[in-house]
Amino acid sequence: MPGKPIEGEKRVFMTGNEVVAWAALAAGAEIMYGYPITPQNEIMHYWTRLAPKFGREFLQTEDELSAGFTTIGGVLAGKKAFTATAGPGNTLMQEPMSMAEAMRLPTVVVIQQRGGPSTGTVIYSQQEVTMTTLGGNGEGMRIVYSTATHQELFDYTIKAFNTAWKYRFPTFILGDGYQAKAREPLTIYDPELRGITMVPAEPLVGKPGVPGVDRPPVHLRNTYNVEEELYELVGSLVRDFERIAPEVAEYEAFGLDDAVLAVVSHGVVSRACKAAVKELREAGYKVGYFRPVTLRPLAVPALQEAAQKAGRFLVVESAQGQLARLLKDALYGSTAEMLPLYKPGMGITAEDVVARVKEILG
Amino acid sequence: MGAIGERIVEAYVGEYASGKSEVAVNRALALARQGRRVNLVDLDIVEPFYTLRPIKKKLGEQGVNVLAWDTREMIGLGETGLVFRPANRWALRLPGDVILDVGYGVGGARTLNLVEGAGEDPHLKVLAVVNIARPMTATVEDIVQYVQTLGRVDGLINNSHLGGETTVEFVQEGARVVAEAARRLGLPVVATTVLEELAAKMGPRDACGHPVWPIRRYMDRTLW
Repeated sequence: MPGKPIEGEKRVFMTGNEVVAWAALAAGAEIMYGYPITPQNEIMHYWTRLAPKFGREFLQTEDELSAGFTTIGGVLAGKKAFTATAGPGNTLMQEPMSMAEAMRLPTVVVIQQRGGPSTGTVIYSQQEVTMTTLGGNGEGMRIVYSTATHQELFDYTIKAFNTAWKYRFPTFILGDGYQAKAREPLTIYDPELRGITMVPAEPLVGKPGVPGVDRPPVHLRNTYNVEEELYELVGSLVRDFERIAPEVAEYEAFGLDDAVLAVVSHGVVSRACKAAVKELREAGYKVGYFRPVTLRPLAVPALQEAAQKAGRFLVVESAQGQLARLLKDALYGSTAEMLPLYKPGMGITAEDVVARVKEILG
Repeated sequence: MGAIGERIVEAYVGEYASGKSEVAVNRALALARQGRRVNLVDLDIVEPFYTLRPIKKKLGEQGVNVLAWDTREMIGLGETGLVFRPANRWALRLPGDVILDVGYGVGGARTLNLVEGAGEDPHLKVLAVVNIARPMTATVEDIVQYVQTLGRVDGLINNSHLGGETTVEFVQEGARVVAEAARRLGLPVVATTVLEELAAKMGPRDACGHPVWPIRRYMDRTLW
């Protein structure tokens, strides 16, 4: 019996991709399916270095379509399975994750965003927000955590496994090339010691007993013959998703009470925004900070309150308004003004944000 | 420049993100400050992140001859690995000291084979950079096992740190662990590298008697 990957807790210095591999181990992931793509490769590299030491497994597939579907296969067989990808790989993953949505399968996919469209750059962007939150045919009933630090990459990767297996919606960790490659200290830990109990996986097919006699039949479908049948399924997906949304949605905010402008961002860009808002507040500017941690579902009531308080949002993202589009949908009917700082596929610094806020507030 | 025997030729190898480039850059600059002629060679063809390319000009201004690609000379960065820069093959034929910054892991260490004369160079020292805050090289056993996979290694560098949270105690703990690993491997610990502000507190030698090389962080500006 191999030991625990992490005994107790430990302060370490890591790259973001390694963090994901260690978190998946700590969360009890049993198998990773994957196909290489920059900038997520070291998730696979470290998983394959570590997995044999702890009795875990890995399968390299022929492409990301296959990596997504084999992840589903692993889940159906009762394994805690996951995969990781980026950019064009994420595009291919939409088909299997759409199937996971249809069948209510618990899947965990880690996305390290890169610049697009297409092959684009390998380094960094926030241009996979629309695709990760709403990609695939169907209604995009999925959960997306957008992380900002290595500590969050560790915490939320562990959390994603529990969210997926508890609610049975496809669950994504949305990182990016900067987080993947950057190095910083964090604490890795055995989740049990933090009071986190991992939801066990169970086989969804091939259960013992006679279907319909000893147990209800397992009926996992992604194909329907008539409109009414599908309509009923989609309705139940939407209802369940809306019911759990308040439990799942997370955000981070400060300085909104006296704010005349709220800086809204997510992921790694929120680090620059946080630093900028702190600096601006110290200089006497009435600026607030709002960061959705879950991009789907969004923390809608908190967002609405922030919009009402500040009256004006500066939306900062390394994309051409992909976050802003989600915000506008959530805030329909609000009169809050939405100002952009969009730099698709480019890094955004605290200086950029400070300069833009000063330009707006004078 | 002194006699031929004093030529310094060092290749820095080791675990991913162990600090190879940071140590190599600082070593090259330290030698340049002594008035030596120094060539710093980017041999990292494993991945294009955190390499010397972005600070090439800056290092040049400080008297180091940097052998690395310019970004505009490259295409398809990162997707298919990097193309070996032809001039770097002849780096050991250059006059002066040569510091080789090698890509990570076994794949990185093998890049040394592409450098003409690396096998016979009488001055070449291959140094493995170790940070005990990196979980794959956290314990004596881990380090011994890891270094044994790298092929030729002539000495270890203790580069144990926790980024901005590094303390003298942590560096000293690294020195003890790395010293024990080095003893089992039959290798010397060439130096402990530590940020200048902490080095001032440690003095010229660490708790195990290894020389302390003060360093500055350059690589945090080189992600891309």
